[in-house]
Amino acid sequence: MNCTIKMWLGICLCLFIGKRASGQSDSTSIYVGHILYPSSDSARITALQKLVKHGEPSTFPFLAAINEKKIFLLDGQPVTTGSAQQLADGSEVFEIFYLYPKSQAVLNSDGTPKLLPVSSLEKIDISRSDRLSMAPILPYLNLANPDPKKRIIAYGQLLTSSDSSKINVLSGALNLEKDKEALTAGKEILFQLKLEQAKSETVAKAYVDSLDSNWGENVTLILKDYSVSGKLEGAKKYAAGKVTDLESLQGRIQKAQNLFSGISLGSILILIALGLAIVYGLAGIINMAHGEFLMIGAYSTFCVQKLFIDILGIKSDLFFFVSLPVSFIIAGIFGLILERLVIRHLYSRPLESLLATWGVSLIMVQLARSIFGDLTAVKAPSFLAGGYQVMPHLILPYNRLFIIGLTIIVVSLTYLMLYRSRLGIQIRAVTQNRSMSACLGVETRKVDAITFFLGSGLAGLAGCAMTLIGNVVPDMGQTYIVDSFLVVVTGGVGKIAGAILSGLGIGFLTKVLESFYEAVYGKVLILALIVIFLQFKPRGLFPDKGRIAED
Amino acid sequence: MEKTKDFRLYLAFIILFAILLPLGNLMGFVSNNTISLWGRYFCFAIAALGVDLIWGYTGILSMCQAFFFCLGGYSVAMHIVMKGATASGTSGSAIPDFMVWNQINALPFFWVPFQSFGLALILGLLIPAAFAFVFGYFIFRSRIKGVYMAIITQALALAMWLLFLRNETMLGGTNGLTDFKSLLGLSLSSPGVKLGLYLFSLAGLCGTYFFSKKLVDSKFGKVLQAIRDSESRTSYTAYRILDYKLAIFIVGALLAAFAGMLYAPQTGIITPGRMDVRASVEMVMWVALGGRGKLKGAILGALVVNFLYSICTSLFPDSWLFILGFLFVITVLYFDKGFLGMIEKIGGGIGKKKNKITEVAEQQVV
Repeated sequence: MNCTIKMWLGICLCLFIGKRASGQSDSTSIYVGHILYPSSDSARITALQKLVKHGEPSTFPFLAAINEKKIFLLDGQPVTTGSAQQLADGSEVFEIFYLYPKSQAVLNSDGTPKLLPVSSLEKIDISRSDRLSMAPILPYLNLANPDPKKRIIAYGQLLTSSDSSKINVLSGALNLEKDKEALTAGKEILFQLKLEQAKSETVAKAYVDSLDSNWGENVTLILKDYSVSGKLEGAKKYAAGKVTDLESLQGRIQKAQNLFSGISLGSILILIALGLAIVYGLAGIINMAHGEFLMIGAYSTFCVQKLFIDILGIKSDLFFFVSLPVSFIIAGIFGLILERLVIRHLYSRPLESLLATWGVSLIMVQLARSIFGDLTAVKAPSFLAGGYQVMPHLILPYNRLFIIGLTIIVVSLTYLMLYRSRLGIQIRAVTQNRSMSACLGVETRKVDAITFFLGSGLAGLAGCAMTLIGNVVPDMGQTYIVDSFLVVVTGGVGKIAGAILSGLGIGFLTKVLESFYEAVYGKVLILALIVIFLQFKPRGLFPDKGRIAED
Repeated sequence: MEKTKDFRLYLAFIILFAILLPLGNLMGFVSNNTISLWGRYFCFAIAALGVDLIWGYTGILSMCQAFFFCLGGYSVAMHIVMKGATASGTSGSAIPDFMVWNQINALPFFWVPFQSFGLALILGLLIPAAFAFVFGYFIFRSRIKGVYMAIITQALALAMWLLFLRNETMLGGTNGLTDFKSLLGLSLSSPGVKLGLYLFSLAGLCGTYFFSKKLVDSKFGKVLQAIRDSESRTSYTAYRILDYKLAIFIVGALLAAFAGMLYAPQTGIITPGRMDVRASVEMVMWVALGGRGKLKGAILGALVVNFLYSICTSLFPDSWLFILGFLFVITVLYFDKGFLGMIEKIGGGIGKKKNKITEVAEQQVV
């Protein structure tokens, strides 16, 4: 529907531009006819050139369709296709728009938009050389384009065009602009053009101010250029001052952005490290395959998506909500199997468990590679696209916000589970003293198994969340495993609070250091910091107290 | 009894690798490729000896041995690349090719010493030793051990790997150093030099083996094993644990670096891929599979695993990781003492009682 509105806007705009070319519509319809049904090869190009020369606005949608090679005939009328829709059987149908004399949607008799496959339309082929003859008018055609991105490009093209009327055309187009982003971009161009033509210092300063308050994408660049190559001395200095202000502001925004991405990286680390910390504290197991549960979670999300879209044919974002619990459960089940087959023979032998689970992780990665291939991606659900705009240029992406929210929920649930439930008290008892709890009737094996299930499930959940921000690859777990182990080490083994604090700290520091140095040096520095930290707190932030802590 | 058995084993080893294989190569039965392959296995075995000293005898699980290995390898590779650049380039511009591609015009200062072979050798050992000293000092001082040690060293390996991947470090980035032509005027592609390097690696392996054997049989070695079995009790008897651990950590790093120095000219390439976390863990795997706490086990593990690797990757390339993974899980779960333990178990039921006692003792290791 949005498309239709844009088309109408286009027509209004065309009317505005076209004041200079009224009274020619009779001949234009003849030319349109010539283009659609040329009597000879030269007739088409002549007609096209005439239309271009007249520049009549009502023909712009028609010419734009020719330029985009999306012109068809429907019952003898020129039409173009709009956005595509997929039918249940997988074939694509398109919305159809009339082009001339009026640009409007083709409707069924009951008023709903008509949807047709491309094959039912008769395509008109217009040769490249003919299309090239439209070059002089191209910048204007896209000003009426229904797609805001195309309009932004069209505004940009005006900057280099030598047409003297461009400022008028641009301000006319901006009057009709509804899209926020496109409006900012267009205004920037407009102000830039006006600034270049400004004759007096006050006017120039006013435009510098307008550029500043408009705060578009390239404002710093434009003002910098002007402060070097501008014509008016006073305005040049003024612009230079604005540039320094803007740069410091951008620096602050960058910092805020870093802070945010640090928190979001930290929350992923927390999600992974939480399971690790609990399992290590409980059973003295270093699970190198923990990262592979992350991978399993991500692949289950991928499979759920496949199931929903390819087999059930449900194309909503529902799959993501289903895949959250599914990835938890599947990763947990794999964890249970691993516990049964390998880990239970290795309790409280951390080094051996480290090596054995490393072997397991090799197997799992290779298995995933042979089943799924090297690279797959989950389509992020549409409600998580975009971001929350705190202020211009400071956008917090919804997917990262979602991950942070998920982490908060999961951490609170884990906390409740550990400190407010019967299972939690058993887990803590076994963590503290295995044999004593066994004597008091706690089924330690069962507690171990459940804990392992939960820990692996948490990693699976992290994997599901990871699909929002990256591709699904077989060795995705290994990128995070060393980091999350560092989280466990600095946090103190088996401590939730430690994992949270150090996860946030490490994620945050990584991003901050990355912004100062290259990512790699940031990593080296983090390691150095952790080694220094461990000089003072060798057992992490929250060490076990008492003699049991010593070996 | 034990001595004659050992002697027979050494004899068999020498006859097979020092006489039969080279002779076969000279007579054309054994391809040059096989010779340099085994030469490389010997290098791995030397590195495995280092891992065994650190992990098997002292109980420190270090997961950055591949990094030390590569430090040695890179130093020799840098020398060879430098020589190649001086030989091919015009007199003024002796800069390795990859630097020219990266638009670096002057030789970075740390490349300068590697123009001389002697200095390259010394630095190839000195840098890893210094690195091991500094890193080890801070780690052992704060009594980081066991799992913590494994994780920290793993992080070190990861960080260094990332560092070497960069082009700014001017060590060739992802592509590493390659295109080796000659070492000390000898062409590295000629079969004679390959055989020579093979024999040199073999000699190096034998030398480091007997050195390590002396070391672990000495009082120093006994203290190491005491540290492995109970660190706190050893420290109560007034041994300075830090010194011992640091010393063996440096020895391990030196062995790895030495192995790397022999490895680079035989392979013809050294890349950061040799020093990632997985490479380090694989070194530990060799020792675990061969039988840790036994020098022969480390050598056996390194040779067997790499030999298997060569066979498997050519026969069924996709399943090597499955095989390695399963081998690893099975060994850790069922054969604590690795291949060597298996052989001994099959070899004879003598001294069963004795075995049981050591088993109990070793359970407290970890």
